[in-house]
Amino acid sequence: MTSAAASAGAWAVTAVGLEKRFGPVSALRPLDLTIAAGSSIAVVGPNGAGKTTLLRLLAGLARPSGGRLEVGPAEPDRRKRRAGIGYLGHATLLYPELTARENLAFAARLYGVAEPEARADALVKAHGLESFADRRTGEFSRGMAQRVAIARALVHEPPLVLLDEPFTGLDPEAADALAARLAGLHAGGRTVLLVTHDLARAAAFAERVVLLRRGALAADVERGDSEPHDFEASLRAALGGRP
Amino acid sequence: MNILRAVLAKDLLSEWRSRDRLPAMLVFALLTVVVLRFAQPGGSLGGDPAQAPGLLWVAYVFAAVLGMNRAFALELENDALAGLALAPVDRGWIFLGKAASNLLLLVVAQITTAVFFSVLFGVDLAGVALPFLGIAFLGAVGLTAAGTLFAGISVRTRYREVMLPLLLFPLLVPLLVGAVQATAGLLADGRADPGALQLLCVYDAVFLIASFLLFEYVLDE
Repeated sequence: MTSAAASAGAWAVTAVGLEKRFGPVSALRPLDLTIAAGSSIAVVGPNGAGKTTLLRLLAGLARPSGGRLEVGPAEPDRRKRRAGIGYLGHATLLYPELTARENLAFAARLYGVAEPEARADALVKAHGLESFADRRTGEFSRGMAQRVAIARALVHEPPLVLLDEPFTGLDPEAADALAARLAGLHAGGRTVLLVTHDLARAAAFAERVVLLRRGALAADVERGDSEPHDFEASLRAALGGRP
Repeated sequence: MNILRAVLAKDLLSEWRSRDRLPAMLVFALLTVVVLRFAQPGGSLGGDPAQAPGLLWVAYVFAAVLGMNRAFALELENDALAGLALAPVDRGWIFLGKAASNLLLLVVAQITTAVFFSVLFGVDLAGVALPFLGIAFLGAVGLTAAGTLFAGISVRTRYREVMLPLLLFPLLVPLLVGAVQATAGLLADGRADPGALQLLCVYDAVFLIASFLLFEYVLDE
């Protein structure tokens, strides 16, 4: 299951008229968005723009109120679709009474990873979590928990990675390490979608930045050949000086 | 089956470390028994042991609802429920894992409460211990099958502490009728009513199967 998802290569996303309403409130107005397989994309926008709603729809955590959404290969089985998605939301998805290593092993079991303990050990090492891997996550600072949560999102090596403000709570060193990891995931052929308020990070990482405002697509900017600094400047210009 | 084991082990390990649910269930059930004891005329069953099964099952239901409410409230912390919903598995197995952990805790609460009840009310349960445990177990399976499903449904509602009993209690009526009748028969003449046992078995089977199938939709937002 997991290996099949991982070996399927990167996943593309197609949304046509995608819409989400909560009662009378439109969190996401009809939105057309295509994300090519293997691309790196950042979604920016002010609070309430619909970024998190979009991410939850893509992850399958919420059902669209209207429109069409295709995530990954055409697959009617929702379980197989979920197997290809690595998701990090605002919350860490961690159990506070379990240690970091136990949380990772539990997630590995949920995703059917062979030898979950070994996978948890490998993630602990790869993400530099050794010094606190056997402490309960309920005792962690936000930054420590965030690092474990990022490792958890990647436990099954998903072809589509969806991250909501992954730099939250990280110190500069850990944020740089995460940026390098995300670049590595993209270089490895995965599709990576990042929701962030940090335009500098978005410009440094993404090939393309999508701006949402009041639930609608306000701008869609490609990096092309420009340097991150120039890309950030063009983003600021596109966004009217504010994200 | 691996998912069932993983969820069960995770829940029991969390409970062992936090001692969040079982002590609350025990205290609540035992306090209920004490209150019922003092509510009886003259502080005893007044020569009418037919009341004993009903009183005992009232304590069981209250303890079960308390424990199951808490079981899903823990999943809301850090949005761990979303982590379960994202798992590429048949969600029925997640239900069975949660239900199994609820069942184990409830059985511990049932046994402890039964001993306490027996001493406090002077009801002889020791002589019918094994068949009594069988009836208690059948009742607990139905309680946790229905309760885990509805705890999952109510957990995202604003008034979940109230919502679970509101949704669950009407559906528990057939189970309680069967459990009380079976227990009453056992205490009266040492033999449980076969019709009541059949009712318990059918209730358990219906709610286990229905909950297994419906849990796929319960975890959706």
